[in-house]
Parts: sequence; structure tokens; C-alpha cells
Amino acid sequence: MAALIASLKTTFTGYFKYRGREGQLSFLLHRLTGLGTLLFLIIHIVDTATVYYFPSLYNHAIEIYRSTPFMIGEIFLVFSVIFHGVNGLRISILDLYYPAKWTIKIQRTAVRHTLLLSVLLWLVPAYIMLRNMLVHNFGMFGG
Amino acid sequence: MTTTSRTVEKPSNYEATAWRWMRYSSVALIPLVWFHVLLQDVIVGVHKIDIDYVFVRWSNIGIQIYDILLLAFAFAHGMNGLRQVTMDFFHSDKARRTASWLIFILWLVVSIIGAFAIIAGARPELV
Repeated sequence: MAALIASLKTTFTGYFKYRGREGQLSFLLHRLTGLGTLLFLIIHIVDTATVYYFPSLYNHAIEIYRSTPFMIGEIFLVFSVIFHGVNGLRISILDLYYPAKWTIKIQRTAVRHTLLLSVLLWLVPAYIMLRNMLVHNFGMFGG
Repeated sequence: MTTTSRTVEKPSNYEATAWRWMRYSSVALIPLVWFHVLLQDVIVGVHKIDIDYVFVRWSNIGIQIYDILLLAFAFAHGMNGLRQVTMDFFHSDKARRTASWLIFILWLVVSIIGAFAIIAGARPELV
């Protein structure tokens, strides 16, 4: 048990202590956005399934999704989905078609472009979702 | 100038197949997930979604097939990703096998619950 805990600790601190610059950052962001999206996905599958199993519970679930903390969380969920997608596509294309391009020099630039593209793709949906939240939850813009 | 690329003998075992399918599914998931999130979260928005909305959606065989594909690809991709992360933390064969089986069972149970609900559809008459 002590050995197991020690190995868990080594792996976890290694995630942050290892100084791999851009590659490390994209590795951590990919895992964080992936696990975050998966957590949401499990909840989302189960709560949506209530429309068949326990229909009276579904509107309660939707009420929670409409609350301000969840709507803010959803804006970050959308960033996670966009970043995980752009970065995942970068990994897939390189692994499947251009493995020789996995060099530190090329990938440092690629990571920066991936982050930039993800933020740019996020801006418009984030604006629309934030506006939706202000309209419905705070009565702004004539809501 | 040193080069980092090298040729290795590619194994053909379960892990290699899972590794390849993470890449194949990622390509399928870009349109599947992005369009789903864009439509439901951004264009429609959670304030317009209720059980009647789901009823109408899941009365359409095309949308049911779309959502089944989404469930199959996204959730399998996510749970295998979780498995890959746990492999970083557990190093003994026994712990890895146990973790893999637990994740597999959770994947199977939640997938069946979700797929059955999509096929059976919403029951707004019971609210």
C-alpha cells in the first residue's frame, strides 16, 4: 500500500515538476480537458437518460443546468471540447501520417498555434453563451 | 543536427489497436461532437431544452442514429482515455488489470443505459 501511494505521488508530482515547456503544457491541458469533458459526459448521459427512466426528474436536472454556476462551467466545457479537439487532431494527423514531424522544434510552434486557434474558435461561442446567461439569468439585453 | 524519428516494429496487440482507434475516433468526433455542442449549447441553449424537446428529437430516426454514434464514439474514447491516464498511476499488472476491468464495466453499464434511452425515446406523458 505504501509503495502504491508513493508511486501515485511520484506520477502526480511528475506531471508538474517535469519541465517540458510547450509539450508538457499541451500534455497536461489535453488530459485536464479530456477528463473534465468525460466527467461531464458521464453526468450528461445519465441525466439525459432520465427522459425515459424517470421523466419527472429530467426537468429538475435541466433546472440545475440553467443555474449561473453551471452555465459558466458550460462555457469552459466548450473551451475544453474545442481545445481537446484541435490538439487531438494535431496528435492524430502527426501520429498517423507525419510521425517524422514529432520534433521538439516543430512541436513547440505547433502547440502555440493549437492554443491560439482554440482560443479564437472559442471566442464567438463563449460570447453567445455568456450573452444567453445574462439574458436568461439576469434579465439583461431585454431578456 | 540529430533526428528524433526512428522506425520501430509495430506490435499488434490490444493496446496497439486501442492506440490506433483513439486516433480514428478523434477524427470522427470532431464533426460529431462539435456540431452537437454548437447546436445544443450555443444555438439552441439550455433554456430552450426540456423533455418535450428531447421527445421531438428522439422521434427522428436520423437524430437517434446520430446520438447513438456520438454515444458510442465519444464515451468509448473518453473511457479509454481515462484508462490510459490510470495506466500512468498504476504500474503493477494486477492493479492495471483491475482498473481496466472497472472502467470497462462502467463504460458498458452507462453505454447500455444511454443507448436504451435513445432508442426508447422520451416519455413526457409521464411527467
